[in-house]
Amino acid sequence: MIIALIGLLAISLIIVIKSADVFVDNIVEIGGALGISQIILGVTASAIGTSLPEFGSAMIATLTGSADLGVGTVIGSNIWNIAGILGISATVAGVIRTNKEGLTRDWLMMLGTGLILLFFMLFGDISWPAALVMVIAYCFYLWVLIKAQRKHSEGSNKDEKIQEEQLKEDNALEIDIKQKVEEKSKKEINRKTVAYVIVGIAGLIMGCRLLVYSADELGNIFGVPEMIMGLFVLAVGTSIPELVVTLTSAMKGLHDLSIGTVLGSNTFNILIGIGVPALLLSVPVDRISLTFDAPVMIFVTILLMALIKLGKGKLNRLGGIILMITYIAYAVVRIFVFG
Amino acid sequence: MYEKILVATMGEYMDPIIEHTLDIIQERETEVIGIYVVETSVPFLTPKKVKEMMAAELTRKGKEILDSMRQEFQSPQHYMVQFRGVMREGSPADEIVKVAEEEGVDLIVLGTGKNLVDKRLLGSVSEKVVHSAPCTILLVRTG
Repeated sequence: MIIALIGLLAISLIIVIKSADVFVDNIVEIGGALGISQIILGVTASAIGTSLPEFGSAMIATLTGSADLGVGTVIGSNIWNIAGILGISATVAGVIRTNKEGLTRDWLMMLGTGLILLFFMLFGDISWPAALVMVIAYCFYLWVLIKAQRKHSEGSNKDEKIQEEQLKEDNALEIDIKQKVEEKSKKEINRKTVAYVIVGIAGLIMGCRLLVYSADELGNIFGVPEMIMGLFVLAVGTSIPELVVTLTSAMKGLHDLSIGTVLGSNTFNILIGIGVPALLLSVPVDRISLTFDAPVMIFVTILLMALIKLGKGKLNRLGGIILMITYIAYAVVRIFVFG
Repeated sequence: MYEKILVATMGEYMDPIIEHTLDIIQERETEVIGIYVVETSVPFLTPKKVKEMMAAELTRKGKEILDSMRQEFQSPQHYMVQFRGVMREGSPADEIVKVAEEEGVDLIVLGTGKNLVDKRLLGSVSEKVVHSAPCTILLVRTG
């Protein structure tokens, strides 16, 4: 029974992550066909692409009466994203460089989001007025991101064309330049794309349901509270996309993508991962979440910035190790002291 | 002695690599091929859109690097250098060796200098190239 449940947990995680990928990929195609700007689609896809598993799990958990599991997944994911994922990535890659402008914007938004959540948690359950504020705040953040991306694209397009012409002259551009994202012309929506979107949504719902069920059952068997299952098992599991993206991009030297994935995902997790379920149902707040988990989330957010400042704009290996130790300390205290 | 040189860089420590290459060339007429390899391999469960973004970003970075190399090698004071940029996709070490074979270069110049921890965690392109290169290699210590 236990092995079957662990197997189910692993399989449902893969279903959730793959379904989220299929959904985002095809919804972007449909958006493109409907004439939505590639910049808007690109920013939105990258912002929600890695976070749909957390959102789906939190949504299903709340709707099926396991709200603690949902809140735990979101807060646990955010702590794991910073202390675990960025810690591992900086330790393996040696360094993650940051872009001051983007970092300040995304970090302030992430910190603000954490403080908004903590503020609403002080009033007890998170209900629809708070949820509305959170969803509106996320729309505002998306608008800021789109504006920044538009500005960035305008600046870099001209230089890029000159460089590309030169390479073509050399007859040496031997790879297919994958900027199809920008070059895609308006296509028609085909049935296959729509079918994939439906398959993606269905997979996401089914996968999240199985995921929540297996985590719930495993928790019952081992006598582990729902909140702990959410904070650690589901949080780490649903953050696999963030881990692969952050680690791979840090190793490839794509530093903005590396740190941006974590910061963007954390903002999405709270504002949408808690905001949208709370629009439908009041999300209860666990006392330890208010007094310990949420403050730890804000602490690691501030610790990250302090380590970057100490590293003169870089998160270096030592910073990564400090973040990992912080995560382990948090996990030990949360599991063995608070239980 | 060296008429055709392949210079490989991923963007880091480009200045010392170019400096050493120019030092070897001196006043001889030489063809320099700059190579940048877009490494697109990603782990399982990487979202497709992110994979596309990574490839696009690495390609953009590669174009910038090759353009900077061109400016360095084709400045008026290095009139004897004929520069060409090549961009490939795949495993950096394999592609560097492949291009060296296809182009029949006499020398490959690349940087080295990762510490032991980095080598263990990230691997070393220069070590792999050393084992299968078809010609002489100049490893410029950058670390």
